Amino acid sequence: MQSSKTQSFSLLKLIILALLGTISLVLFFINFPLPFLPTPYLKIDFSEVPALMAAFIFSPLAGVIVVAIKNILYLAIGGGEIIGVLANFLTGVLFIVPVALMYHKFKGVKSVISGLVTGTIVMALGMSVLNYFLILPAYGWFMGWEMTEQFKWFSVYAGILPFNLIKGIVVGLLFVPLFLKMRQWIEEKRASLV
Amino acid sequence: MNNALIIGQYVPGNSLVHKLDPRTKITLIFFFVFIVFLANNVLSYSILTLFALVSMVISRVPIRFIMKGLTPIWFLIVFTFILHIIVTKEGSVWLEIYSFQIYSGGVFQGIAISLRFFLLILVTSLLTLTTTPIEITDAIEDMLHPLKKVKFPVHELALMMSISLRFIPTLMQETDKISKAQASRGVDFRTGSIKDRAKAVVPLLIPLFVSAFKRAEELAMAMEARGYNGGEGRTKLRELKINARDIAVYLLFIAVIAGLLLTRGY
Repeated sequence: MQSSKTQSFSLLKLIILALLGTISLVLFFINFPLPFLPTPYLKIDFSEVPALMAAFIFSPLAGVIVVAIKNILYLAIGGGEIIGVLANFLTGVLFIVPVALMYHKFKGVKSVISGLVTGTIVMALGMSVLNYFLILPAYGWFMGWEMTEQFKWFSVYAGILPFNLIKGIVVGLLFVPLFLKMRQWIEEKRASLV
Repeated sequence: MNNALIIGQYVPGNSLVHKLDPRTKITLIFFFVFIVFLANNVLSYSILTLFALVSMVISRVPIRFIMKGLTPIWFLIVFTFILHIIVTKEGSVWLEIYSFQIYSGGVFQGIAISLRFFLLILVTSLLTLTTTPIEITDAIEDMLHPLKKVKFPVHELALMMSISLRFIPTLMQETDKISKAQASRGVDFRTGSIKDRAKAVVPLLIPLFVSAFKRAEELAMAMEARGYNGGEGRTKLRELKINARDIAVYLLFIAVIAGLLLTRGY
């Protein structure tokens, strides 16, 4: 009896993560660019929110799985090209893991807010570094562009860095009121599922 | 809402490309991404273009669907072309506008690199145009199978992906329904500052999360009741099979690679 119970819990967990992945994908399609940045390909969306939910209820790894499902399905339905999708995956991981770690350590609203601030900074700095050394050169290689130092610095300073800071803030602006309203529900689910 | 999302890019059909095993398609595209870089003269580029165009024609996907997939890329292709014309200063001067000169080398390089980029996008989008997301998921599960040896949960990942795919239309409909219900109560999603819009999403997400959890519980119970107990010994509704046509396509692809190696300039 006991073994069948744990089996059913892990199956339920898998299904919950799959559905959160679907919500994440649906939210991924409702995106908008930031009008004042010179980089129209960078778009803000709320697809990290379901992943944060998974990360809060289960573990940071569960959040990463939700982001992975979203990105793999996005590729499978032919939504975008692989480098951009990979960059989006890394952005999600860099944002979610710090927030979830902070939340699981202290719980409470303050830790969520400080987690969101940390996550935003980690994501913005991490993506700046990754873009400079990996993502922009990868695009350059595919498109046969000479990626000059100047171009890379400009993209990071005028695009990637401010974009990710603003993205973190906007997602935070949505997530904090959501967390306040759903806090009890999250705790309940946590208690009954984990 | 965006109706195209329900089925993604997929265009139903009965062509040879549609009928190929999804694993064959994924493998070929993986190698195609590398072999496009082999082409470096007119002849080798012609072989590549011929291969891509023939695949496109026999897939019988209407041109407008292919072009729709390419729309976000046109800008990049044109930009790459112009960039090379401006930057590359090789060969003879073809055109002189005041002090600005266009070199033959720049034009050739621009054409070659935009063409390479175009072919890359064309062939990769053929995969999602002719393969259902479910087939791609099955293929990924099968191709990741060796990772089971290092305890990577291949079956669980595939299960999550197929459940997730199944619920895209359902949850999109639900999102639509909730947002209409909230809009009728006066929530404004379309206007206002980014901050206001972020806040307007909260009453949309809460019911979405709660109902997703309910659905998950129901589905888990239904699967258990039907005797689901993990990946071991589970049979499949859709079996992947490598046919003679897959082998023929592999051989043709090897011939293309050989052709490229023979014709490219060293």
